[in-house]
Amino acid sequence: MDHPAPRILIVEDDADAAQAIAEAAQDLGALTERAATFDAGLAAAGAGDHAVIVFDRMLPGGDGIDAIARIRAAGSTALVLVVSALGRAANKIEGLEKGADDYLAKPFDPEELRARLRALLRRRQMQVIDNDLVAFGELQIRLKARTVHVGQAHVPVSPKEFELISYFARNAGETVTRMQLLENVWNLHFDPQTNVVDVHVGRLRRKLEQAAGRAVIHTDRGAGYVFDPQRDAG
Amino acid sequence: MSRPHRSLATSASLRVTLAVAAGIIVLSLGAMAVQYRITARALEARQDGLLAAELDAYAQFYEQRRIPGLREAIDARSAVTPRDQALYLLQDRNGTTLAGNLPDWPQGVRAQGTLFATAPAQDLVLDGTTYRGVARDLPGGFPFLAARSLAPDAATLAQLRGTILRVLVALVALSLVAGWLVARAAVGRIDRLNALADRVAGGELSARLPGPRAADEFGALEGHVHAMLDRIEALNRATHRLSDSIAHELRTPLNRIRQRLSRLTGQDEELAAIDAEMAGAIRIFDSLLDISSAEAAAGTSGLVPVDFSALAAEVFDLYAPLAEDKGLTATADIAPDCTILGERNLLAQLVSNLLDNAIKFCAPGDSIALSLGPDGPAHRLAISDTGPGVPSEIRDAAFDRFTRAERDRGIAGHGLGLALVQAIATRHGARVTLPDTARGFRIEVSWPALPRD
Repeated sequence: MDHPAPRILIVEDDADAAQAIAEAAQDLGALTERAATFDAGLAAAGAGDHAVIVFDRMLPGGDGIDAIARIRAAGSTALVLVVSALGRAANKIEGLEKGADDYLAKPFDPEELRARLRALLRRRQMQVIDNDLVAFGELQIRLKARTVHVGQAHVPVSPKEFELISYFARNAGETVTRMQLLENVWNLHFDPQTNVVDVHVGRLRRKLEQAAGRAVIHTDRGAGYVFDPQRDAG
Repeated sequence: MSRPHRSLATSASLRVTLAVAAGIIVLSLGAMAVQYRITARALEARQDGLLAAELDAYAQFYEQRRIPGLREAIDARSAVTPRDQALYLLQDRNGTTLAGNLPDWPQGVRAQGTLFATAPAQDLVLDGTTYRGVARDLPGGFPFLAARSLAPDAATLAQLRGTILRVLVALVALSLVAGWLVARAAVGRIDRLNALADRVAGGELSARLPGPRAADEFGALEGHVHAMLDRIEALNRATHRLSDSIAHELRTPLNRIRQRLSRLTGQDEELAAIDAEMAGAIRIFDSLLDISSAEAAAGTSGLVPVDFSALAAEVFDLYAPLAEDKGLTATADIAPDCTILGERNLLAQLVSNLLDNAIKFCAPGDSIALSLGPDGPAHRLAISDTGPGVPSEIRDAAFDRFTRAERDRGIAGHGLGLALVQAIATRHGARVTLPDTARGFRIEVSWPALPRD
């Protein structure tokens, strides 16, 4: 199945920020469109079929998270990423509760933004796949049974590790950041003082590596992890 | 913060009121004593006057007709005078009674003086009644006695003493009641201020007394305390606003520097180290902003029922492998269904901070225990470890921003963890205590339990 280039709408009044978001989106091969006010954003969202809409919050004319319900009511299936200077945990949770699919605090790390956009684009494509079995070569994940196998060998994973590998699998081949893991796997929206996530990823990584005989989860320097079972399969 | 119970008995106002009352009572008592003396003297003078007048009359009868005249006068007087009022007696030289209301010369009374002079007078007691009068031997050997009873005067004085005693008792009782009333009123109003001071000392800097100020000195004191608190609060806010502004303003350029760094290539290790330092600095600012926003949120607005048991277990599971990797024994004892009104993310951050601290400060072989369970009307979260504990010199300041022990300079951190814990607890109306432990560190947080319905 050949996907046309996804379209991303950026509703952002700050030109610099809009430019940075557009660059990240174009890096991912998406077509971008920009609106600078709340109303223009709503109109643009209603007019086109966007894969992802990036909404700022403090826009001339309104708060981006108030637009989410109206966009949805208008029948749009776009996923919404809120990017806002209102970046405290409480703001994020408010945004997610009001229907945002993801929330990124400004100022953002471009790497982080790319990872978020990538995850959203992938999630949109994944929606058509409704499969119990997710396979990456020999590595098989059964979502209903919550088991992981490499070939015939069963890899024992804890419930949390299963959620972790499921999230990795949904974003296979892409960089996922520690913050994304903490938010999506643990539902925690703060930055712990220690990188606790590393310990969990490390354990899962060792188990998979032992079973598969090669690296399954790779480290992306500074940014996060990449789940790619077939990278070294050669 | 424990609020000492102040009883009325130890109240300063009660003591002052009672001291003033005691002074007034002593003064009244003195005045009444003077009055008593004056009355006693006046009664004595009247008694002396009456005796003198009678003696005068007898003297005249004696002068005119000697003993027969005196005998007649005494007879006449005795006929109308009962013995408990006055005694009269006239005898002849053989001791035979000639006139009077006494059958015999009373024992122990010796004649003194001459004729009918008032002095020297003497007191004599007869049948339990005291009399004052004169006993004489009239020329020719006629013993003569005239004395008036002192009983009516003594009765009057006794009555007066009784009145004074009753007034005294009434005064003491009145002053006790007045003292109690004044003390209660004063203690009530001072207690309001004391309760306010306790709340402020407990961290509730915005606490104020409700209602209008009275126009008296208590009202003025309340007004002054309020003005003082307003000032302190404003200064405190200004300080925090300053640190917030610094945090907020520096985050942006730091992030820009990070973004630019990420575009550089070569010297990857150096770049990674710089990036990590930057991330650390941004994290400090984020923590400061987190503390401020938790402090700023007041009351229960925005709080929802949270299954704290499940949340604590989840955060514990997040940290357990970290503890295990460090060679620590971590155990959790969590009672099910501890529900509180809270903000899930903040609660998770609190538990995370405490576990993070415990793991950070403990050495391999130490153990960490988390417990959560009902404790009376509250749910108590306790996290303890067998690590080095809090040095006593920073114990009091343990919850202040940037408090770190000299000893821990080598351990990563900025002394913001417990400040955030305190801010989150305050946000939830929870109480944080550091109970004394023989070894290690123990922190307890008591959360208002949400009643199950």
